[in-house]
Amino acid sequence: MTEELKVAVDRKASGAVLYTKGYINNVGGEEIASRAYELMDDGVRTLLLNLRDTKIVNSIGISILIEIIEKMIDKGGKIAFCCLTPVIHKTFQIMGLANYAAIFDNEESAMKELGL
Amino acid sequence: MSPLVHQFAEFLHDLQQLERAALPSHGSLILDAFTKHTPYDVGAVYLRDARGPEMRLAAKSRLCVAPEILDGDSLDSAPLDPKPRHIIPMRTAREDFGVIALSGDISSDEDLRMLHAAGTFAASLLNTHRLAQEMREGDFQLKYRLWELESLYDIGLSIAGTLNIDALADEILFRMISLINARRAALFLRDGDKFRVYRSFGDTRSDFLDDEITDRVVAAGEALTFEDASECIFPGCIATVAVPIKGNNAVIGVLAAGDRETREGDVGAFEANELRLLSLFANQVAIALENARLHKEALEKQAMQRELDLAATIQSDILPKSIPVVEGIELAALSRPAKQVGGDYHAFFQREGTLTTVVADVAGKSMPAALLVSAFHAAIQLLFAEGRELGDIATELNRHIHSWSAENKFITMIVVTIDPEAETIQFVNAGHNPCYVITGDHIEQLRSHGLPIGILGASKYMTQTRPFPAGSTVVLYSDGICEAENAAGDEWGNEAFEQLLARHANSSASEVRDAIAEAVDAFVADAPQKDDETLVVARTAS
Repeated sequence: MTEELKVAVDRKASGAVLYTKGYINNVGGEEIASRAYELMDDGVRTLLLNLRDTKIVNSIGISILIEIIEKMIDKGGKIAFCCLTPVIHKTFQIMGLANYAAIFDNEESAMKELGL
Repeated sequence: MSPLVHQFAEFLHDLQQLERAALPSHGSLILDAFTKHTPYDVGAVYLRDARGPEMRLAAKSRLCVAPEILDGDSLDSAPLDPKPRHIIPMRTAREDFGVIALSGDISSDEDLRMLHAAGTFAASLLNTHRLAQEMREGDFQLKYRLWELESLYDIGLSIAGTLNIDALADEILFRMISLINARRAALFLRDGDKFRVYRSFGDTRSDFLDDEITDRVVAAGEALTFEDASECIFPGCIATVAVPIKGNNAVIGVLAAGDRETREGDVGAFEANELRLLSLFANQVAIALENARLHKEALEKQAMQRELDLAATIQSDILPKSIPVVEGIELAALSRPAKQVGGDYHAFFQREGTLTTVVADVAGKSMPAALLVSAFHAAIQLLFAEGRELGDIATELNRHIHSWSAENKFITMIVVTIDPEAETIQFVNAGHNPCYVITGDHIEQLRSHGLPIGILGASKYMTQTRPFPAGSTVVLYSDGICEAENAAGDEWGNEAFEQLLARHANSSASEVRDAIAEAVDAFVADAPQKDDETLVVARTAS
């Protein structure tokens, strides 16, 4: 199993999709934040995080994701997640991420709903 | 009215941005507001360090020279340049948040009072910001504790329901890493006296748990941290924790984790709360691993039983369902498979007034033996249908089985053809127990004269012929008959066998068969049947 998180970005006409692969911890969370903030600075206001290749997230990773969500909301944008493992889905619900960011089962329904 | 009064609403509005701004930008926001809306154009902002008594420089004007840290009340003597004309405290009734040092043209006392009011307002905003931050952190911690409890509960359900040990190992590692914010983790399972890595997240130093750590963890029986030997499990690791997974009678595994993350981006030692969590977690893991092991054993047992059932079906399907009726020959047969399917085989063939019967025994048990019996059955049926003589059949069978079967597989076989008209018996004995020919009071053994079928591909077998006068009896059998064991481990043996045959020299085939069966049963008594028992008795009419 790999330790390092990898992030891939797919820019869309009306936003972007971030694909994560690996552990969302402090290092991984900061990597996501860095890519997300770059996109926000570039005017992106709709961001979908596809976590299909992420099986683990820890509390620090969660706190960083919350910061990203808050920053996007401050800018009047929206963030959503898709393709979460059942464990991560439940974690997001308990930690309150689901209150501020929509969660979709698959990327197709997320893209449709977000208009990406 | 002074200019400051005119701008005061705008001044407060700018300060209000503190509520939404991140902590690092507070100093510059305050300085901007105080230098933009007052006659003072140069200044510095110091904010109280939450971790100590000193105040740290949070922002300063470009032309201002200001030290990074102010200790306590030394502001008046601080080497600020230019020397501040006014120092505005940011203070609520209960707490001191810092100061704003301003240089520039003095304005009225009224303006100064407004500046102090603005300082108090800024302090209130900082206080609100801090409270909001503390509330958020408190809320996060509350949710996090809830998540920990939910995780432990879920882990119990989830890993107890995961009976595949590979899937279980992944689940255990993922959950543990999340739960204690570790960067690396490994699950070690017992392998003899040591613990071998079964799954890891990140590299481990060795495939086995370090001996010293093993001893310490097993002796402690609870989670231990290893700052002094942190690199023994994970290379380059600063802090390691390990906890034993305790089975019913012994430690069945060890969970280890390395490098606990902090929000500041560092790694540090694991804390007491995490050790407690890990110990609780290891208890759940022990139950789950035990369940998975029992489940695996049950599956293996089921698979073995299915295989045995299938092998028994294959074997019973190819054995004769009835005994043929042959003019001038009385036949009787017995086939008693042992519980564990072996490889006994028998068959009858008729050709031009003669009867051929074969008794064979395939080496091995269960499905491999049943498959070899099946191949043997198909081959001998085809070869006999081709009209070949016994030696030729045995030679072809040998070549076929040798090329088809595994190295350690062979078949002992005896095949005999009785010709009542010619009063002869032809036979080939390939490594099988000798059969008995009883004529009057004379008993002859037809002994093996070749290797078992399948041992040596080049073996050739010759047909042997003996006289078989009318009223003679031939008895073919497998070793399950003569080697039948009683509870003491004694074998029935060929001596008892021959004595019985001597007593039944004039009995019918079925009487001989029944007498042998009864004698074997009486000898074995309550001991379990160890091997297949096959018996074929043929007697020509007097």
